[in-house]
Amino acid sequence: MTLGVLAALPAHGVGSREDLPLPFSYLLVGAGLALVISFVALGALWKTPRLRDTDGRLVPKTLALALDSPALRGIAVLATLFVAAWTLMSLVFGKDNANNPVASVVYVWLWVGLAFLSMLVGGVWRLVNPLRWLHAGLLRLARVEPDFALAEYRLGYWPAAVGLAAFVWLELIAPDNADLPVLRVAVFGYLLVGVILSLVFGRPYLRRGDAFTAWSSLYGTLSPLGRRADGRWVWRTPLHGPLQVGFDRGLLAVCAVLLGTTAYDGFSGESRWYGFVQGRSFPRLWETAGLLGVCLVVAGSLALAAWLSARLARVSWHGVASAFAPSLIPIAAGYLIAHYWSLWVWEGTNGLSKFSDPLGTGGNWLGTAGVTPAAALITPSLVAAIQVVAIITGHVLGVVVAHERALALFPRRAAVAGQVPLLVLMVIYTVGGLTLLFSS
Amino acid sequence: MSYAAGLALVTALTACGGGDPAGGGGATSSSSTSSNPTSSGSPTSSATSTTSASSSSTSTPAGRTVEVTITGRKVDPAPATVKLGVGEKLTLTVTSDHDDVLHIHGFDIEKNLKAGQPTTVELTGDAPGVYEVETHEPELRLLKIAVQ
Repeated sequence: MTLGVLAALPAHGVGSREDLPLPFSYLLVGAGLALVISFVALGALWKTPRLRDTDGRLVPKTLALALDSPALRGIAVLATLFVAAWTLMSLVFGKDNANNPVASVVYVWLWVGLAFLSMLVGGVWRLVNPLRWLHAGLLRLARVEPDFALAEYRLGYWPAAVGLAAFVWLELIAPDNADLPVLRVAVFGYLLVGVILSLVFGRPYLRRGDAFTAWSSLYGTLSPLGRRADGRWVWRTPLHGPLQVGFDRGLLAVCAVLLGTTAYDGFSGESRWYGFVQGRSFPRLWETAGLLGVCLVVAGSLALAAWLSARLARVSWHGVASAFAPSLIPIAAGYLIAHYWSLWVWEGTNGLSKFSDPLGTGGNWLGTAGVTPAAALITPSLVAAIQVVAIITGHVLGVVVAHERALALFPRRAAVAGQVPLLVLMVIYTVGGLTLLFSS
Repeated sequence: MSYAAGLALVTALTACGGGDPAGGGGATSSSSTSSNPTSSGSPTSSATSTTSASSSSTSTPAGRTVEVTITGRKVDPAPATVKLGVGEKLTLTVTSDHDDVLHIHGFDIEKNLKAGQPTTVELTGDAPGVYEVETHEPELRLLKIAVQ
């Protein structure tokens, strides 16, 4: 395969290939497992809170030193800035055709790739975020203190929730979204808004409000590598991170967007849905309503289940929904892996190939023009297995996180009963996710 | 697979012409356009399906035959997934009431559709996966081909 015949469709579009439907037997087995595990867990798991932010096995000293070393951090930042600058070069000067790498970088690397990387090594975007360095550079040029802010930041996760939903809208609904003119508006618009907000609100905005930082940090909580309460690097379970996510405004919204956007992507491939939508006068309006609707259904159903749980446990429902919101993170991660694994393998690799010719001159500047996706990683049977394992693993982790949260929030005698609505909801999410993979 | 893909294609015509990487890969395809349904170039089209004004999907030893009719924004039959075995041949006939472009993902196929004239495309399942068949003006998804 030569570079010349590589197609440049964005994201899931990327590629012109989708995964085969999940075999029905997998759907049944997965759904059954989700149901049984959930209710067995309810009775069999620990009865008092036991996951603490002081837990974890210290990583070897050399690794801890390396992770905190300016050298490694500097390399990570420089590598990211290099990729960002290279992409901007392609965005501004590249040719608007299928071999331009920008669509792959934006829709595959920045989205799926960043989520996968964060699940492995933690929320790295907070460190390497080009906006952070742009902001720092601007302040330094102006000889202003790095902590400068015009206003106190109080928006919590809301800008991230809105930003992530906007990104998915661009990816799945916007017209001509793999074309350079559209991508230019999107990328420069994102940078401009980010610079303005970070200048107004200072660094707290970059830590909480930036969409990709939230994306990376929330999925990064699942990483086996984390910092415990005293700040030291430890190996720990993927349960500890989500429980460490502190409350902030918009937490429920951003968690609902994580799950809802991926679910919408699956849902929008349903032939009954698009068959209905494409016959309407304003299909994009319907699709936008569908995207927002799925996110609202996720947030609303979690709020309802949390309210029921609080009623059953006879505690105030205030703040309960947000307290349970982080238990959606592993479920969303399971969906994400199931939905995008083959896309990542296929288009992530094709993107690397295109990345070597940023200006469309037929060059091979990085020597990666010849890379081709490993077909062995996306055979139908392997993909189906990965999908079921990812979704069930995410479900189990979500159930256990919710269990631990319930023990901390509810009086002990009511903690079991109080979890039932949430467990039912998680079973619904999981069976729903499997059904989407089976039928779309 | 996103709707976005289809949208992207509208302008990323080089992709359409050049071919998709993901796809049916080495799937062979040939196509023919005829103004008369009964003289459709497909040797595997069954008589019933070629003369049918609406659409049908039939399976013969030689392969599957699918007919789709587009009226404005309406796709008949409603979008569905057509299963195709590896090595099995599909004969797809599309008739649109307006000029359009037919695009089959993964098989490197892009054909101009003339208003009212049935266009027939033959393809053979090769690489397992699901591939979309769509038009560009307006963006409509006609069906999916599941090669397995």
